[in-house]
Amino acid sequence: MVSFDAERLIEWVRSLELVKRGAESEIRVGSFMGLEAVFKLRVPKPYMDPELDLELRSFRTRREAKAMAAAISGGVRAPRVYAVFPSAGLIVMERIKGPLLKERLQVHGDHGHLLHEAGGMLARLHRAGLVHGDPTTSNYIVAETGMLYLIDYGLSSFSTSIEDRAVDIHLFRRALESTHATIAQEAFTNFMEGYKRVMGEEAGKVEERAEEIRLRGRYVEKRRTIWGRTL
Amino acid sequence: MVDAATRSSPPRNRESGELLVLGVESTAHTFGASVVSSRPPYVLSDVRSQYKPSKGGILPREAAAFLAENAPGVVSRALEEAGVGPGELDAIAVSLGPGMGPSLRVGATVARALASRYGLPIVPVNHAVAHIEIARFLTGLRDPLVLYVAGGNTTVMSHVAGRYRVFGETLDIALGNLLDTFAREAGIAPPYIVGGEHAVDRCAAGGKYVKGMPYVVKGQDVSFSGLLTTSLKLLRKGFRLSDVCYTLREIAFSSVVEVAERGLAHTGKDSIILTGGVAANRILNEKVRLMALEQGARFEPIEARFCGDNGVMIAITGLLAYAHGVSLDTPRKALIRQRWRPDEVDAPWYPLTLRDL
Ligand SMILES: Nc1ncnc2c1ncn2[C@@H]1O[C@H](COP(=O)(O)OP(=O)(O)O)[C@@H](O)[C@H]1O
Ligand SMILES: [Mg+2]
Repeated sequence: MVSFDAERLIEWVRSLELVKRGAESEIRVGSFMGLEAVFKLRVPKPYMDPELDLELRSFRTRREAKAMAAAISGGVRAPRVYAVFPSAGLIVMERIKGPLLKERLQVHGDHGHLLHEAGGMLARLHRAGLVHGDPTTSNYIVAETGMLYLIDYGLSSFSTSIEDRAVDIHLFRRALESTHATIAQEAFTNFMEGYKRVMGEEAGKVEERAEEIRLRGRYVEKRRTIWGRTL
Repeated sequence: MVDAATRSSPPRNRESGELLVLGVESTAHTFGASVVSSRPPYVLSDVRSQYKPSKGGILPREAAAFLAENAPGVVSRALEEAGVGPGELDAIAVSLGPGMGPSLRVGATVARALASRYGLPIVPVNHAVAHIEIARFLTGLRDPLVLYVAGGNTTVMSHVAGRYRVFGETLDIALGNLLDTFAREAGIAPPYIVGGEHAVDRCAAGGKYVKGMPYVVKGQDVSFSGLLTTSLKLLRKGFRLSDVCYTLREIAFSSVVEVAERGLAHTGKDSIILTGGVAANRILNEKVRLMALEQGARFEPIEARFCGDNGVMIAITGLLAYAHGVSLDTPRKALIRQRWRPDEVDAPWYPLTLRDL
């Protein structure tokens, strides 16, 4: 790779048009070797110890790029990675135009097929040996072509454990309940149908475990503790 | 049993339409009572008595015995300070959960007794919701993202479609629990808090970052059990106490602030509140402030004395609920609910606060 100066690169990226501020990154658009691209820049977090911050940003950037490549080869629709600069916290990737699944769900209508597909895509990711780590409705894009994309692999990891897969299901369910409360139940049913269709047999165990996690985490009152003693 | 009944209160002129509610908190280690009015200055009294174990952690039965012993005195002082006789109250609000059974029973018993004796309605209050309501009241932020951090809770919540919904939480132990357990195992507590500072904060002074300790964020959730074990292991290996304390705190606080940051991005809320016992921590407040600044969200810290469990938050929430038609038709229905989830509670008053009534 061409050697580069991280600071100058970041300075240049920051001159591009900012289109979104994600949960942990700035999303800009520009051209990369003639291709329309998204520049995802993980910016330093002012509230973190600088060493911890740098450790996390470069780790997540590296892992995200790796996971995206693996997801695509596993048949998941994800943006193509054009370039990665871990020490700058930068990934340059294909730009997917279209609204977020979250925005689509907020517009009335029948979204069954979209959720079905979202479930199937998560299953394909799982079958590729990955878990997403943050599967919310903000991390799916409904492309202008009508095709669904799964994005944001910063918290993903390479794992085939039932527990990790179940955490993904649990997270998606909770995202539905907290953001799309009125349609959550039906949406989740559709999502799980899509998931099971692709996952096959194994889906049952994952679903069961997800329910367990729900009881473990969500009903946190069960585990109330005071001064370090579980009650 | 409650001598407040027989004590005379100095006369207090009551405005027309004014509502007065007595709030009773008794979910864990604190018995608190407070009288709150629907008119300024709102909080008329705030009395509490807290059980503190001399060594080790809290023992539920011991805690409950302590609460039961102190309850009558706390209630009568709350009425006395407010200058309100029990007969003048409109309702009694009591936190019926979530919490420890033995402690909850003390509060429920006190509330039932007073309610029957004076013919007052009981307003059931969810403890977690009350932590949110007092923060909304104090900060004036009407529709915030909520970071609720306490001994037994670490939750990111937000109000959607009539209720507080859980956005993220700990997958294992809570933030307060992490700090306290570490402090105890490391031999630096009890006492856990001295002069408003936690033992871990005290020992973190001058500490440096230790690489490689586990930072676990999964989506909107955090996990601390690995961090706790690793920290204790490093101490045994001879790492400096100050370095381990510093890094443990950095990782723990940063990860909860990060999930709150994700919650802001995901919900699009433009303000945030920090509430619950650990919200009194200055370092955590500073981190939330910096995060909010970066996200363009408003943040107002709340006074440390209102972070921990207290009767005021129960009275405030009870008053809001009562003004919106929430009350039990008979004291007998005031049953404790150890596992009462905040998203099971309708919040018909939202986004109003006491100041808008
Ligand atoms: N490849 C892409 N094409 C188009 N929009 C994108 C792309 N990647 C991210 N975005 C937009 O930016 C937002 C944040 O990106 P994301 O990767 O989810 O970052 P974060 O980890 O900060 O949430 C997304 O919700 C989406 O709207
Ligand atoms: Mg995202």
